[in-house]
Amino acid sequence: MSQPLLQLEGVTKVYRMGQVEVPALRGVDLTLDPGASLAIMGPSGSGKSTLLHIAGLLDRPTSGRVIWAGEDSSSLSPARLAELRGRHIGFVFQTFNLIPTLSALENVELPLLFQGERRGQRRRRAAELLSLVGLADRKGHRPGQLSGGERQRVAIARALASDPELLLADEPTGNLDSASGREILEVLRDLNRRGKALVLVTHDAEAAAVATRVLRMRDGRLLEGTG
Amino acid sequence: MIGDLFLLSVRNVLHRKLRSWLTVIGILIGTAAVVALISIGQGLQRSITHEVERIMGFNTLLITPAAQGFQARIQLDLAALRSVPGVEEAVAVRTETAYVAGPAREGFLSLTGYDPAMEEFVAELKLELESGEGFSQRGQVVLGARAAQLLGARVGDTVRVEERPFQVVGILAPQEEGGTAYGGISFNDSLFVFYDDLKELFPGPDLAQYGFVKVASGADVGAVKAGVERALARAGINEAEVIGFEEITQRIRAVLSGVQAFLAAIAGISILVGGVGVMNTMYTAVLERTREIGVMKAVGAKNSHVLLLFLLESGLMGLVGGGLGLGVGLGVAQIAAVVVRRLFEAGFSVAVSAGLVVGALLFSFGVGAISGLLPARRAALLPPVEALRYE
Repeated sequence: MSQPLLQLEGVTKVYRMGQVEVPALRGVDLTLDPGASLAIMGPSGSGKSTLLHIAGLLDRPTSGRVIWAGEDSSSLSPARLAELRGRHIGFVFQTFNLIPTLSALENVELPLLFQGERRGQRRRRAAELLSLVGLADRKGHRPGQLSGGERQRVAIARALASDPELLLADEPTGNLDSASGREILEVLRDLNRRGKALVLVTHDAEAAAVATRVLRMRDGRLLEGTG
Repeated sequence: MIGDLFLLSVRNVLHRKLRSWLTVIGILIGTAAVVALISIGQGLQRSITHEVERIMGFNTLLITPAAQGFQARIQLDLAALRSVPGVEEAVAVRTETAYVAGPAREGFLSLTGYDPAMEEFVAELKLELESGEGFSQRGQVVLGARAAQLLGARVGDTVRVEERPFQVVGILAPQEEGGTAYGGISFNDSLFVFYDDLKELFPGPDLAQYGFVKVASGADVGAVKAGVERALARAGINEAEVIGFEEITQRIRAVLSGVQAFLAAIAGISILVGGVGVMNTMYTAVLERTREIGVMKAVGAKNSHVLLLFLLESGLMGLVGGGLGLGVGLGVAQIAAVVVRRLFEAGFSVAVSAGLVVGALLFSFGVGAISGLLPARRAALLPPVEALRYE
């Protein structure tokens, strides 16, 4: 086996709410290999989203190490972290987080824009990805003109724009009806089969079933679950 | 990359149309005011400089009494002045009040000593005749239009000046009221005799109101001016001041520039107010788009990208406001110029320099960008997770 894609070692995260310190993560160890899939389940407030943000280099741990492809992320500059996020990690959010003023195509192009990719190249790539998620005919639509399921597909296409090694999905079906949710899960499962590592945060067992390994989280700690 | 961010910023600005336009108008008004004031001011400066140049020419020095005041006079030694190297000609302008008797009436009128040389290099001292021939020998007099009317004299008549008979050889064309005057008195009311006749009529010390020196072509005006000053000092004339064309225009410029700078500064304050408007709009935009900023960071935008995006947006609003303000300002200035020309029948046109155009655009873009700096910085430094969580 090659080196792990992502390692978390003794990661803690404490939020300060005025005078009160709220621990969100109380020492999390986790290893994710390239192409692996993992679902993290737990009630809201258990720290799953915080864990996902830290794993995705969007947030820094209070203590502990986050090692990305063998490199300790705590020593990296914000600009370097942004670059790693842009090139190697794709995020899928519960609320889609598309930019409402941009068309579906432009939303998908966005990560490539920040990487300095040429316009023509970006267009082509974004169009391909929209076809991949079955939205070839929705390129010019704004997010407001798309259904929830369609929006999440656009978000997935965007997460795939720079062909990342890791997809992080935070309750990707949380705002969708069950039919759309199942479709989205199918897309994610398919992407995982094609070699993308997948970490899925959910409290829905059906969603968690997409992953080969399921961990439960409670009070800021990971508990080994099924699989 | 910058191009893409720019396109993105254009779309963001266009997206919030009403607010963007209101913000742009803030910058527009300030820029228009500054541009209008500066172009009118520069036009005014040019017209005045032009006027001074027309009257005096570049190569003329004016000698005036150093003491300001209506009665101030200086004694000029014209022969000494003419002998200064580089001086082609020197004339004195002297006006006295004389008792004059004409066919119809008699009374006090102003009498000016005439020197044919003065006509040659001081355009404003040229006598425009309506009738008659003009001077050919001493003992002749030329009458201003109103003086001729008062005295009831025509060409060929004889008038008595200080009890001496003079033959009328010419009458001047009437001059506009408020036209340039000899020693404070209009041409219309004056009589002209040869300078030497004037000296004989008023035999005391030869005290002139002012003098003109013409610098020979090719001679250095500055050096001649110094020479004239030395000649005056040698002759014991200390109460005279020698002023060149450059200095006159400089003095006028200094005063006008001061006024202009003051007005522009006041108008500039409105640009600052416009800048505060930009800042306000941008803070609102950052707040509204907090989540969007989080998303951009999640998909790989660096802080510098976010900073640049917001700076471009605010700079763009500044630039558009500045560009439109420039157009409006120049339009207002042109209208003002037309009004001035109609009202005062003066040759006046607005000056539009490339510097003003470029300066106005750069300045407005700068105001926009600087006003956007703090909001953009706030956006750039937002922690991505907090931005994403923002409701």
